[in-house]
Amino acid sequence: MTLIVAEGLEKTYRLGQVDVQALRGVDAQILAGEYVAITGPSGSGKSTLMHILGCLDSPTSGTYRLDGEDISTLSGKRLAHVRNRKVGFVFQTFNLMPRLTVEENVALPLKYRGGVPRAERRARAHKLLERLGLGPRIGHRPDELSGGERQRVAIARALVGEPAILMADEPTGNLDSTAGNEVLATFAELHAAGHTIVLVTHDPGVAARAERVIQMSDGRVV
Amino acid sequence: MNLIESLLTGLDEARRHWGQTLLSLLGLILGTASIVTVLALFGGQTALTEQFLNEVGGRGTIIVSDRERSAHPRARELASKRLTFHDAQFLRDRATALTAVSPGWARQLDYRAGTTSFTGQVIGTVPDYMVINDIKPLVGRYLSDLDVRHQSRVTVLGWKYADSLFGAATAALGKVVSIGAKSYRVVGVLEREEFYFASWEDNALEYRNERAYIPISTAIAQYSATDNLDFLTLKAKPAAGGAAAQAQVRSLLFARHGVEDFDIRASGQGAGQEAGSFLLLFNFIFLVVGVVSLVTGGIVIANILLASVVERVREFGTRMALGATAGGIFAHVLAEVLVVTIIGGLLGLGLGAALTGVVAHFMQMPAVVSPFIATVSIGTAISVGLIAGLFPALRAARLAPVEALRYA
Repeated sequence: MTLIVAEGLEKTYRLGQVDVQALRGVDAQILAGEYVAITGPSGSGKSTLMHILGCLDSPTSGTYRLDGEDISTLSGKRLAHVRNRKVGFVFQTFNLMPRLTVEENVALPLKYRGGVPRAERRARAHKLLERLGLGPRIGHRPDELSGGERQRVAIARALVGEPAILMADEPTGNLDSTAGNEVLATFAELHAAGHTIVLVTHDPGVAARAERVIQMSDGRVV
Repeated sequence: MNLIESLLTGLDEARRHWGQTLLSLLGLILGTASIVTVLALFGGQTALTEQFLNEVGGRGTIIVSDRERSAHPRARELASKRLTFHDAQFLRDRATALTAVSPGWARQLDYRAGTTSFTGQVIGTVPDYMVINDIKPLVGRYLSDLDVRHQSRVTVLGWKYADSLFGAATAALGKVVSIGAKSYRVVGVLEREEFYFASWEDNALEYRNERAYIPISTAIAQYSATDNLDFLTLKAKPAAGGAAAQAQVRSLLFARHGVEDFDIRASGQGAGQEAGSFLLLFNFIFLVVGVVSLVTGGIVIANILLASVVERVREFGTRMALGATAGGIFAHVLAEVLVVTIIGGLLGLGLGAALTGVVAHFMQMPAVVSPFIATVSIGTAISVGLIAGLFPALRAARLAPVEALRYA
C-alpha cells in the first residue's frame, strides 16, 4: 500500500527581497512499512520536503496525498488533526516540554487528540516507555535525562498516537555516536515491528541504515 | 483538546514556572494594591465630607440670599427692601412647608470682659438657628423666643470665646460681657465643636467656637438702621420635600418683594464644598498615582508575557506538530493570563486592603475597602492582563508550525 504520494512539489520562500526556491518539482512515493532516508547536502531541500510530508508546512504547488487524503487543500484545523493522528514527528533538538515529566511529555499528543481518558493516556505512555527501555525514567524531567534518553522519549511521544508514519529530522544530529546508535537501533526495531519511518539526514552512515535512500540535490530528487 | 482542558493546561503551566509567573504578578499586585488603596481612601474622604456636611447642618436646608442688584435696576427692584427680619417672620407664619426659619445677622464687633478684649464675630439670630445647626449648650441655655420678642441683652458664647474671656468656658455663665460697647448677660456657653478631615488638619469647625449669639431683634435694635438680613436659612418639613418648600418660599417672598431679587438654593454644596476643596487636589494626586501604577503594572505584565511568548514560540511549534490547534494554543495562553491576573488581582487586593488599613491608622482617615472597590480593582487587573495577554496569544496561535519551530 502506498502511504505517501507526492507529485510536482514546489516550495518557494520569500527571504526579504529574494525568492528562494527550496523545492523545484519533487515526486516521491513511500510505501507502508518502508524505512526511507532522505539525504543530501544542506540547502538541498531535504528538510523542506520532510516538513511538507509531515504537514508542518504546505507546498507552493503540487499535490500531496497522505494515507489516501489530499493534504494540499486542508485547513489549519484539519491539518492539526492530520498531524495528530497520522504523523509522529521526531526533532533534532528533541523539543520536549522542559516543565513536564517524561510521562506527561509522551502523553501530550493524546491530550491534544481529545476524548482519550487520562488513565488511558498514562497507560499508553507507560507501555511505550517500558518498550523503549525508559520505564525507570517515567517521573523524571527532560533535563535529568541523557541526550539519547531524551530522543527516545521524543520517539515514544511520536509513537503514542499510533501514527501511520514516523518522521525524524536529523534525529542523531545532536547526539554522540553511542547515543546515536541507540536511537538508530530503536528505529530498526520499530521498522522490524512494521512501522513506516522516514528520516532526514546528511550523514551517509545514518542513511545507510535505511531500506531506501532518497537523494536530494538543489531542490530535486536525484 | 477542549476548552476546559486547554484552561487546565494553562493553569498547570502557570504553576510550573512559578518564578516567572511571580515576576509578572508583582507588577499586577502593586498596580491593583494602589488602585484599592486610592479608592478606599477616596471613598473615606467622601464619607468624611458627607459627615462634615451633616455636622454643619448643610443637609436638607434651604438657603435664601439677596441677589446681586442689576446694573440698571428698575423701580420695583429699587423699591424692594431686600431680605429682612420681617420676611423671616412672614415665612414663619405662612410657609406651611417649613419646619424651621432661621434669619441671621452677622457683624465683627469688639468683645471685652475685664482686661481681655478682642474683635470677633457676632451672630444675631433666633432659636430655630439651634435646630438647623444642631448646636448644644455646654452650660446654661440657648436663645429663646422670649429673648427675641423682648430684644433681651443676653448672649450665648461659643466655647472658645467663653474660654478666652473668662478663663474657663463654664465660668462664663451668668457673667456680663461687653459686645460692641453694649453689655450682655451670658445665658449659655456652647459645646466645643470639632471636626478633623485628617489628623494634621486644623479643626474645621473652630470658627463655630469663635463667635457669640445674640437675639436678632436685639442686634437690629442696637446696631442697625434697617432689619436687613445677612443670611436666611430654612428647613423644609420632611413630608413636604425640598422642591415644594422652595417653590412656596419663592412665591411668598415674591409677593412681599414684588420682584425676584433673591436666590433660593438647596444647601449641601455651600459650606462643605469650600472645606472639601483641598481634598479634591488630594484625591486627584492619589488617583493619578493609582492610574500610573496600574499602567506601569500593565506594561510590566505585557512585557513579561510578550517575552515569554517569544521564548516559547518554538514550544508552541512543537505543540502544533503534536496536533495542537491554533485555538488550543490561544486558549492555553489565555488561561495562563487569566490565572496570573486573577491571582495577582487577589493578592493586590489583599495588599491594598492592608495598605489602606495602615494609612488609615496612621493618618487617622476613615477608609473602607468595599465590595465595589474589590470588584473594580480585580476587574481592572483582569482587563489589563487580558489586553496585555491577548496580543501575544493571538500572535502565538497564528504561526504556521514550521515557522514557529524555526523561530529565533
